Amino acid sequence: MSALILTSVLGVILLYLGLFGGKKLLAPVGILGLLGAIALFVMDKQYINIPQFANMLSFDAMGISFSIGLLVITILIFIFGIDYYANEEKNVAEQFALMIFSVTGALMMVSYTNLLSLFLGIEILSIPLYILAGGKRNSMRSGEASFKYFLLGSFSSAFLLMGIALIYGVAASFELPKVMAMAATSGTNILFLLGCFFVIVGMTFKVAAVPFHFWSPDVYEGAPTLVTTFMATVVKMAAFAALFRFVTMIGMPAAVGKALLLIAIVTLLVGNITALRQSHFKRLMAYSSIAHSGFLLMAILSNSANTPSVLFYYTFTYALATVGLFIVFTVAKRAANGDEHIRIFRGLFRSQPWIGVMLLVMMLSLAGIPPFAGFFAKVNVFMLALGAGQIGLTVFAVVMALVGIYYYAVVVREAFTASENEPALVVAPTNWLVISLCGIAVLVLGVMPGWLL
Amino acid sequence: MIYLFYLFATISVISALFVVAAKSPVNSVISLIVCFLSIAGHYILLNAQFLAMVHIIVYTGAIMVLFLFVIMLLNLNKSTEPQKSLITRIAAVAAGGLFLLTLLGAIKNGIGIATPGGYDGGIGLVKSVGMSLFTDFLVPFELSSVLFLSAIIGAVMLGKKESTAKQMATGDSAYAGLNQAEHIVR
Repeated sequence: MSALILTSVLGVILLYLGLFGGKKLLAPVGILGLLGAIALFVMDKQYINIPQFANMLSFDAMGISFSIGLLVITILIFIFGIDYYANEEKNVAEQFALMIFSVTGALMMVSYTNLLSLFLGIEILSIPLYILAGGKRNSMRSGEASFKYFLLGSFSSAFLLMGIALIYGVAASFELPKVMAMAATSGTNILFLLGCFFVIVGMTFKVAAVPFHFWSPDVYEGAPTLVTTFMATVVKMAAFAALFRFVTMIGMPAAVGKALLLIAIVTLLVGNITALRQSHFKRLMAYSSIAHSGFLLMAILSNSANTPSVLFYYTFTYALATVGLFIVFTVAKRAANGDEHIRIFRGLFRSQPWIGVMLLVMMLSLAGIPPFAGFFAKVNVFMLALGAGQIGLTVFAVVMALVGIYYYAVVVREAFTASENEPALVVAPTNWLVISLCGIAVLVLGVMPGWLL
Repeated sequence: MIYLFYLFATISVISALFVVAAKSPVNSVISLIVCFLSIAGHYILLNAQFLAMVHIIVYTGAIMVLFLFVIMLLNLNKSTEPQKSLITRIAAVAAGGLFLLTLLGAIKNGIGIATPGGYDGGIGLVKSVGMSLFTDFLVPFELSSVLFLSAIIGAVMLGKKESTAKQMATGDSAYAGLNQAEHIVR
């Protein structure tokens, strides 16, 4: 609870720092504050599993691990931000502060026990993102991304709200324990199922699952790279934790299970197949993120006692690799004068061998090749699905994972091809640090998955 | 009391009719303001003071002023008003009629079904709203300030004039307007 207060106040502190010209201090203070929030989560033992403030939030084991994971990823993105915003004069404080506010919403989403705090968390997460996506003021694409995300996001919020209203109509309460008790007795009430369906539509929009994924490639492409990184990692982690909490709460009625199964299959298919044809790196990452949503939906579908830890391991290692890859992309993009085609990686290994190796590690992890973390994440998901008796789905997902290796390999091939004109890659020390951290973490967590599971 | 109800009801219905019937959009908006004010009167009659005040501040104050500004900025008048085609009119009448039918059906079937359980007459008072905001709903109440703060930051950030971006001037002002609208609505 104190961590939530800390992050909200931290955003205001950053705003004041920006006002009084402490631009150099912004990222360090932000990182320090986020570290403090992690410490508070680790230390505040008295809050664990006890519903806070009239059943609004409850910090259980899953909520705390996801919160810490979210904060770690945000810290990595902030370190990236030191270099990313180095040449920018205006609105830097605002952008950092908005990211902090967004994380506050994400923290609410991973430990809600009340549908009201779920909705508020999603809104606090999204509204800053709509603004951040339009951060590049003189770029038409950025404006388009912001506007598109805003319109579609509001639309999905409306669905979510409608669903919550229907559930409230049946259960006469926003509190999850009461909704849970109601779902156990009259779980097949048509209004209740309709409400669950609407809520799932709203949430799958946030995780960019097919058929609610159309915003994500355009928004990923148009938004500033740092914001894209944030959307691809923090939002995804928070939204999956929230979706899982919701699904366990309603006890997965058969109809909801069928809907989720359908969404998972279509997401796996469309995400992986469409990614094959992408040559624009950000769009490729968008479709890769859609494909990963499919695997994560499989984990949610199985709905067993192990699901939270599998979900956390998957999202966290996915987020680590994604953050690192987007930083490598930014470095290569600068050397290529703003080109975003994957050919900008050509000659990367020649000019920066270490960065090239890290790119290889993170790409292979996303592709799911042993011994990297992505492999164990996928294996865990498949084991869960098998345990739940979803044999057909698992076979299909394995095939899709194999298809997915191709488009990651294309990028790796570019990086290891020598180019005739060597790109002059400049890697700032902070970026080097984050890339190395992400790459090594992906490798170490792959070798020792027990540390997180 | 009952006379007040009939007074407010008459004003609401007549002003609502004026909203649709008025030729000039400005007159239409002003009738809508009158309609909202009389509905706020109904809220007071129902002992819902908080709702009445919020209704006046948010709907009558903020949103209707926004409407007026939009109408004046767009400079809507009769000559620019697009003529509706016959098909649109028929579709509009059919949609409205179906909606009316649904409402009538709901009222007909709904009478007597609802059993008002444990209604607390003081539930709409400012005091009880404040009590529940600061006890049961403290966390959402406080955290929504973060939401508003980020909306305000966004309005300032996107709405501020950028000296370097000249060719985007038109597009930017559109986004700024949008954001301001969002800010007022929220």
